[in-house]
Amino acid sequence: MSGDNIQYWRWREYRLTVPSVKWKNAETITAGIDVGSVSSKAVVMVDGEICSVSVMRTGSSSPDSAKKVLEWALEGTGIKPTDINYIVGTGYGRVNVPMANSTLTEIACHAKGANYIWGPTVRTILDVGGQDIKAIRCDEKGKVLSFIMNDKCAAGTGRGMEVLADLLKIPIEEMGEASLKVEEEPDPVSCTCVAFARTEAVNLLRRGWSKEKVLASYMRAMALRMCNLLERVGCEKDLVITGGQSKNIGIVSRVEKILGIKPLPPPNWRENGRDPMAAGAIGAALFAKALYEKNKNTT
Amino acid sequence: MEKGFGEKKYMVELSEREVEDLRNSVKATSLKLMDEYIERMKKTWPNRPKIMEYFDEVAKFFGTREKEILKAKEEGRKVIGYTCMFAPIELILAADAIPVRVSSGIYDTTKLGNRIVPVEVCPVVRSTIGVGMIGFSPHLEVSDALITPLTCDGMAKLSEILSDRKPVWTVCPPRLKDSEQSMRFWREELQSVKAKIEKLTGTKITAKKLKTAIETMHRATRAFRRLQELRRGAPVIMGRDAMLVNQTSAWDDIERWTKKTEELCSELEKRRQEKILACAPDTPRIMIAGSPALWPDNWKLPNLIEEANPQGVIVADEFCSGDRFLFDPVGVDEWTMDDMFNAVAERYLLPSTCPCFTSEDGNVDRVNWLKARIEERRVDGVVYHVFRGCMLYAMEYTRIKKALDKINVPVYYLDTDYTREDVGQIKTRVEAFLEMLKSRVEF
Repeated sequence: MSGDNIQYWRWREYRLTVPSVKWKNAETITAGIDVGSVSSKAVVMVDGEICSVSVMRTGSSSPDSAKKVLEWALEGTGIKPTDINYIVGTGYGRVNVPMANSTLTEIACHAKGANYIWGPTVRTILDVGGQDIKAIRCDEKGKVLSFIMNDKCAAGTGRGMEVLADLLKIPIEEMGEASLKVEEEPDPVSCTCVAFARTEAVNLLRRGWSKEKVLASYMRAMALRMCNLLERVGCEKDLVITGGQSKNIGIVSRVEKILGIKPLPPPNWRENGRDPMAAGAIGAALFAKALYEKNKNTT
Repeated sequence: MEKGFGEKKYMVELSEREVEDLRNSVKATSLKLMDEYIERMKKTWPNRPKIMEYFDEVAKFFGTREKEILKAKEEGRKVIGYTCMFAPIELILAADAIPVRVSSGIYDTTKLGNRIVPVEVCPVVRSTIGVGMIGFSPHLEVSDALITPLTCDGMAKLSEILSDRKPVWTVCPPRLKDSEQSMRFWREELQSVKAKIEKLTGTKITAKKLKTAIETMHRATRAFRRLQELRRGAPVIMGRDAMLVNQTSAWDDIERWTKKTEELCSELEKRRQEKILACAPDTPRIMIAGSPALWPDNWKLPNLIEEANPQGVIVADEFCSGDRFLFDPVGVDEWTMDDMFNAVAERYLLPSTCPCFTSEDGNVDRVNWLKARIEERRVDGVVYHVFRGCMLYAMEYTRIKKALDKINVPVYYLDTDYTREDVGQIKTRVEAFLEMLKSRVEF
C-alpha cells in the first residue's frame, strides 16, 4: 500500500572462497549441505580445511535448495561436483538432499562444527535456527553428550525476527543494534509465538512504544527462552552461539547478560569461512571426510 | 441400572447421521493406518516370523476378534472393559466374562474428545472420550460395563464421562502402597467390584473358578516373560513387534494368546540358536519409559526409533500396556478363597510402579524396576516419553533422570501426543539421540 518494495526481512545471502586453500593435489574433497527451514548452507572442504562457503535462502523445494547452494559454493573454485569425494546432508531438509552420500542430524553437525570453529574448549552450543532452538552439550572432540530442543513451534527463532523486521520496517541485520538503543530494558513480551508476533507488536506500538523498545522487549523474551533451555541442559563454559541468530547482537548480548556467561566471539569468518551460521554445514563436511576415509579403509 | 448411567452429563448431542459420518471417516483412516503400520513393521523386519500375522490380525480393529466377541455375547457371555491395568483380570475371567482394555490410541477421536475436555488433557483420555462419543472402538462398544481405576486426574474424570455411555465401576487405588490401611481399602474396593461382576454375569466367583482364572493368568505371565527374556541378548525380535504382541494380550482370548506367544517364543529361541537376528547386533538398544504408547496412532514414536537413520531397536518399555502389563503373577500360598482373593489384590497393588503412587523414597520401586530392565536388557539409552497433559510421568522425570545419570544411562525427554503433524520434529530429536548413542564416526 505504501508502495515501498523494500524487503526488510531479507538478510544477505553470500558466498566466499578462502584463497589460501588449494585443492588440485588434495587427498579428499568433501562437502556438507545444511538445508534449514529458512536458510541453506554449503561448505566445501579440502583435506579438512574450509575452501568455500555459501549461505542462501531455502526455497520451496529442499532438493533444489541443496543443489543451488552447493553449486554456488563451488562457483569460481574450479571444483566440479564430480570432484567431491563425499557429501553429508544435514538440517531439517536432510532427507531431501539428493546428492548426499549420507545424512546426519544438525545436532551432531553443529557440535562438530562448533568444535572446529572455536576449538576443543567448547562445551555448550546454543543453535538458534530459523524455526527451532537447540542447546547442545559436547565433549572436547565435539561429540554430543546431551541436547534439548525447544517446543515444536517457531517461537523466538529466526523466522520470528523476519516477521518483526517486516512489521517494524527495520532491515533485519540492523535489528540487533536497534534493540540495544533503549534507555531501560523493557519487560519481555508475554508470548514469542510467531503467529502472534504481529498482533502483540502492533498493540505495543499503539500503546506508544518505540520500535526499538518493541524489539528490545521481543528479543528479551527470546533470550529468556534460550537461557531457560541452556539452564535445563546445564550450561558449561565455553559457550558458543551458532545458527543465523548468532549474528544478532541484540540476542547475543542479552543471553550473556541473563546467563552471566560470555559466549565466545565469532572468529574472523569472512576470511577463514568459519561462519557460526554455517556451523552445521561445516560439521557435515567434517563428518563427510571422516566417513569417506572410513569407507576407503574398509574397502 | 447404575445410578447416573445413560444420562448425558458430558456427552455432546450428536445426530445419528453425524455419528454415522464420523464413525465412517474415522474408521477409514484408522483401518488404513493400521495396515500401513503393520506393513512398515514387516519392512523393518524382513524375516519376520509368519506367526506374527496372528497378532496383526488381533490388532486389526473391527476384524475377526471383534466378530468373535460379538458371537460370544450373543451366546450370553458378558464383556467387561477396563481403562487401566489396575483392573483385576482374574476376577473377570473367574466369572466367565471377557476382559478387554478400552483405553484408546486413536488420534482422530482425540479431536472429538476436544469438544468435551480441554486440549491440555492427556490424549489417551481425550481419545477414549471421542471413541465413546461415536461408539467407535470395538472394545469400548462391546463392553457391558467398565472397570475404571481412578489412578490419575485424567482417569478419574474419564470414568465419570464414560458413565454417559456405559455402566462404570470405579476402583480407587490408594496413593500409598506400603501401609496396612491401604491394603485393606484396596481389598474392599476389589470386593465391591467382585460383587458387581457377579451380579452382571450372574456367575458366582467360586474358589474353583478363581483358581482356574489365576492359573490361566499364570500361564499368560509365563509366556509374556518368556517373550521379554528374548529381548535380552542380540536382537531376535524388533521392539515394535514385541510391543504389538504385548498389547494384543489385552484384547485377545488370553488362553489362545498364550499359546500363540509360546509358539512365537519357540521360533525366536530357534533363531537365537541359529543366530538369525532381526537387526544388526550393534544397533543401539532403546528403552521407552513413561506414558504408554498405544496402538495404533501412538506407534509414532516406536516407528521413528526403529525406522530411524541410524536405526534403534526397542528392547524394553515400561508401559502399563506393554512390559509391565502381565509381568507380575498372582502369588498364592493357599488355594483358599480368602488367600487367593488377597493375593489378587496384592498383585495389582504392590508390584505396581505407576507414578500415581507417592512415597518418601520417591517411588523407588519404579526406579528399581527401570534399573533392573536396563541392566538385563543392556539398554544403551532411554527415551522418556510423556504425553502432553500426563502430569505424573512428567513430574517424575527429574527423579528418574537423576537416578539414571548416576548409572551413566543417557535419557532423552520427549513430549508429544497422538498428533501426526509433529513427526518431522520428533524425527530429528530421535535421530540425534541415536547418533549420540551410536557415535557412528570416531575422530
